Amino acid sequence: MKFKDYDIEHFLTDEFFIQWVKNPDENTRHFWEKWISEHPEKRKVVQQAASVIKSIKSDQNKGISDFMYVDIFENIIKAEEKKGLQDHSPDESNPWFSLFTIRKIAATVFLGFCLWISYDVMLKGVEIQTEIPDTLIVSKSNPAGSKSIITLADGTKIYLNAASKISYPKVFDETQRSVKLEGEAYFEVAKDGRPFTVSVGDNAIKVLGTSFNVKQRGTKGLSVALVEGKVKVNDRLGNQVLLDPNEMLVIEEKGEFYKSGFDQLEIIGWKDMYLTFNKDSFEETKAKLENWYGVEIEVKGKISNKWVYSGKYKEESLENVLRGISHTSGLRYNIKGKKVIITKP
Amino acid sequence: MVNKPQKTKLSSVISLSHSESTRIFEKKSDLEVWSAFDKGDEMAFNYIYRGFTPIMFSFGIQITNNVDLVKDCIQNIFIDLRRKRGALSEVISIKSYLLKILQRELFRSIKKESIHSIQNIELPESAFLIEVSHETKVIQLESETEINTQLKMALNQLTARQRQAIVLLYEEGMSYREIAEVLEFNEVKSARKLVYRAIESLKQILKN
Repeated sequence: MKFKDYDIEHFLTDEFFIQWVKNPDENTRHFWEKWISEHPEKRKVVQQAASVIKSIKSDQNKGISDFMYVDIFENIIKAEEKKGLQDHSPDESNPWFSLFTIRKIAATVFLGFCLWISYDVMLKGVEIQTEIPDTLIVSKSNPAGSKSIITLADGTKIYLNAASKISYPKVFDETQRSVKLEGEAYFEVAKDGRPFTVSVGDNAIKVLGTSFNVKQRGTKGLSVALVEGKVKVNDRLGNQVLLDPNEMLVIEEKGEFYKSGFDQLEIIGWKDMYLTFNKDSFEETKAKLENWYGVEIEVKGKISNKWVYSGKYKEESLENVLRGISHTSGLRYNIKGKKVIITKP
Repeated sequence: MVNKPQKTKLSSVISLSHSESTRIFEKKSDLEVWSAFDKGDEMAFNYIYRGFTPIMFSFGIQITNNVDLVKDCIQNIFIDLRRKRGALSEVISIKSYLLKILQRELFRSIKKESIHSIQNIELPESAFLIEVSHETKVIQLESETEINTQLKMALNQLTARQRQAIVLLYEEGMSYREIAEVLEFNEVKSARKLVYRAIESLKQILKN
């Protein structure tokens, strides 16, 4: 039968047509779109057929639960472990053979498990964080002007910067450690076999045991600077980047990202109380000061957008830092409690 | 702490749509994936497990409501397949192959549990019931709702096998060849006929 004589029942039983409705590809799309434009009188019946195909669903909409999905996988692997032990138990003539086999099985199981975990984290990336039951979450937050150090139950040390917040479960899961960060923190992750994941907005940073700095940039951006170990970063678009020591990844608000080296003092000096400025614009300088000292800065007069400042201070008072800045930049300052007025004469 | 890295575009950035194993296998034919699995490739197993367990579950649950039974059967199938690695036969469509052996396994288990000795197990009456949902349209005309209701009734009066074929065809987007494999027909023609007859009986409602 020719397509032009097609009626609804013919469309409904045509594999090529169903394929176009269900999983259109270039081939089917090209064919059917062209066909419809050549047979406009069939447009209505085509639409009707497509609508029937799309509306038919199984009545049972029960999907597999995450728990069962993992459970089945584990049972498959476990069954193999058991069988391996049975097969090569003491009556095996060569003891080395059995030892080797058991090792091999253990390695396979472990590999499978690693693949599973990494696959899961890669695929789910972000969602995995939401699995933490809310009731057990501990949150610590710092206002602008104060920093803190948190040691988690697993031995991981977190330096939490000013105006930042960290949430983590009171007790980590058996298979993973997940924390959620807003703002900036430096992590010294203790190695204990379970992956450690930091989620920041829609991004997830996954490590085993390393030291790195994470800083949120705006609502969607992020920078991750690695001091030692290895870090894997997955962004919300499904990109994955691996970092080596002394590399920094920057994800901008629009999702664009790039990798570069970084100056340790500039990026992670804050945890050792170093306040650094590296050719910072006035806006950047102002934000750093406000954050570091928990003050509000008011500006009087217009400051050139060519204004830049570089400098390094360790555990200095606000007054000393402002004095230092004013020396080189010609700005005047006036501290009134938690308020600072900067004037351009 | 404002960072000023050089904006060099990165060659070491790996852009992954899903994951490593998806990246390796998604462009490969089922035949190649299956053969890698047969050779002991754990990535291939991972890809298969991840890709097909959800559909196996939703397929199984349409045959029996017994969740534990479906779970055990899926588990046993994979344990068995992994044991037989190195001696597995070629598989052209992994999806239809797995669904076929799942159905067999389910029937076998149901038979074992049953007190009566049933010779051949057929799909239960309640298997593969169909729902006719509104598509994504916000406004649904009353007449369309009426047709959907009629269509649903008519579909659910078909035999369980016909509904099974229709679900596989429309919901899973399977080809007749794949449907024939799941239903264990020797010829693709038989799968076509089954669907044709089902659609034929719906014609009156559809033409209104």
